[in-house]
Amino acid sequence: MRRARNPNHAIAASIAAVAILAIAATFTFDPVPPGLPGLGAVEFPRLVCGILLLLALLLAATHAEPISAEDAPPIDGRAFLIFALCLAFIPALDVIGMIPAIPLFLVIVGRLWGGTALLGLVLSALGMGIAIWFVFVKIFRLTLPKGWLGTVLGF
Amino acid sequence: MEGFLGGLAILLDPWVMFMVFLGTVLGIFVGALPGISGSTTIALMLPMTIAMGPIPAICFLGAIYCAANFGGSITAIMVNAPGDPSASATALEGYKMAEKGQAGLALGMSAVSSAIGGIFSIFVLIIAAPLLARAAYAFGPPEYFALAVFGLSMCAAIGGDSAVKNLIAAALGVLIATVGMDLTTGTERFAFGIDELADGIKFVPVLIGLFAMGEMLDQVVRRAKKAKIIALDAARVPGMAEFRKCNRSIWLGSVIGTFIGALPALGATTAALIGYNETRRWSKHKEEFGKGSIEGVAGPEAANNAAVGGSMVPTLALGIPGSATTAIILAGLIVQGVRPGPHLFTEQPTLLYAVFASMLAANLFYLGLGLYMAKFFARISLVPPAVLWPSVFVLSIIGAYGPDQSMGDVIVMLVAGVVGFLFRRTGFSPAPLIMGLVLGGKMEETLKQSLIIFGDDVSLFATRPIAITLLGITAMGLLWPLASRLWRLRVTQR
Repeated sequence: MRRARNPNHAIAASIAAVAILAIAATFTFDPVPPGLPGLGAVEFPRLVCGILLLLALLLAATHAEPISAEDAPPIDGRAFLIFALCLAFIPALDVIGMIPAIPLFLVIVGRLWGGTALLGLVLSALGMGIAIWFVFVKIFRLTLPKGWLGTVLGF
Repeated sequence: MEGFLGGLAILLDPWVMFMVFLGTVLGIFVGALPGISGSTTIALMLPMTIAMGPIPAICFLGAIYCAANFGGSITAIMVNAPGDPSASATALEGYKMAEKGQAGLALGMSAVSSAIGGIFSIFVLIIAAPLLARAAYAFGPPEYFALAVFGLSMCAAIGGDSAVKNLIAAALGVLIATVGMDLTTGTERFAFGIDELADGIKFVPVLIGLFAMGEMLDQVVRRAKKAKIIALDAARVPGMAEFRKCNRSIWLGSVIGTFIGALPALGATTAALIGYNETRRWSKHKEEFGKGSIEGVAGPEAANNAAVGGSMVPTLALGIPGSATTAIILAGLIVQGVRPGPHLFTEQPTLLYAVFASMLAANLFYLGLGLYMAKFFARISLVPPAVLWPSVFVLSIIGAYGPDQSMGDVIVMLVAGVVGFLFRRTGFSPAPLIMGLVLGGKMEETLKQSLIIFGDDVSLFATRPIAITLLGITAMGLLWPLASRLWRLRVTQR
């Protein structure tokens, strides 16, 4: 019978890769003039990376059961679509601005999520947009991104 | 005593009392919003307090500080997204309790333990402020370094799958803290020519990303369709049986929080994480931890609110901020023409005690609001997930963008969100990473200072009793599980 793969090996390898990359990056730091007392700029990060490598080794030596579907459910197409919408929200701020982008995002993602009627989503998205505008713009006086549209419309 | 009575008399002024109440309500509200921390709010409110005069202004800011810590626990418990950094430890058990249908119980215990911790610390300050300040002042760089190492070593016991994973997360946090300009040599580290990274990675975007965004991404994968219906039990506030069970945790958290808070630079977040760990260590119900332990809510909540009072000691008595939030309050005092420092106790005792009295009042206000409104707060989980989680995303974006109005911080938050998501899927807890990030800068700075003091001779740590004791306890705590396992193995082989 084939033995189940120990997930700690892959995790430890990733952690070790991060530590090795960080150590490599310390060689790109600007040189420090000689004669300064105490630790320089590179010693402490290298010390931390060394500890990380040691801990990664310890983790690799530790047995663990495969990660269950309950702990890490498979990522389906709709989840990927929501992730993509989350990323698209950032450039959308430059185009339509934050206040219009918020209700739009809430309705589209809420619809993809499922389980709630469209009317409820639209009403709650509008309410959320107004609440954010009131609290952050009116009370806290934050300047939220207006985007190209906001500039054109003169907001 | 005369000074304190003078402070109470000032509090009877309706205008001052109104400002304290307003600060409390605002503090709970912003504390409950993921990403809007007490420090962000105080920074945003600072310009508005200039016209108020020193006493109402400091009372208002102090009340926000007290109440935001409690408010942060609301979203930590309800949606696993701590509204305030200090509530990150509360999320570990509080969210599990909410999942079990005990949201009201967790919120009620949070309100009571927060108030007890807060009031305890203020009374300790009134009686022993000069002594506490002197003790904290006696700490030098070697002691701070040893304390930071001790704090990080305790991460081994916080949540997650294993102690090794927790220590890895803590070390990653320390590594992230090294990003940006090295203050000793002026060298840019891990910035890769990106301006936003040259100033270092900010705490707020990473925290929002790891907790709120990470949880949101995890929920996207799970996509629960229906809101969890709160059982009648969830709206129940804690009774005598629960208080008896949590009695030890509350007092332990209060003592730890007051002490940690009084140490400069170690604030409510560190106090809460240490409070959580010690509560678990001394609990008679260790098996409940990680599954929704009410003691795991009471301990860190008492600790983080006790730290609020504690952190005001070095701020007011020494002019050294006890936390990020008190650093902003310190700026507020200076703007008002008040010079914080030891002379404040002799020159302006009334102002000092008015601050303490207002903090006492704020604690009582949010206790009442917390208990009375617990059922209302518990209703947050009735919001459909399709509405709640996309809203958490939007609030996280604003929370990361707001303080510096920087899209770079939003990107950092999103990256931290992906890390938080991967952490959840691989059995890591985000709390040790936060602790590493908080303590990392201090740890490096104090290590460098210590080595300069010792002329690069590490063995001279042995000449500092407090430092060597803390380092010894750390080594024992880390090596003990390994030594005991080897010992058991040897006994079995015989």
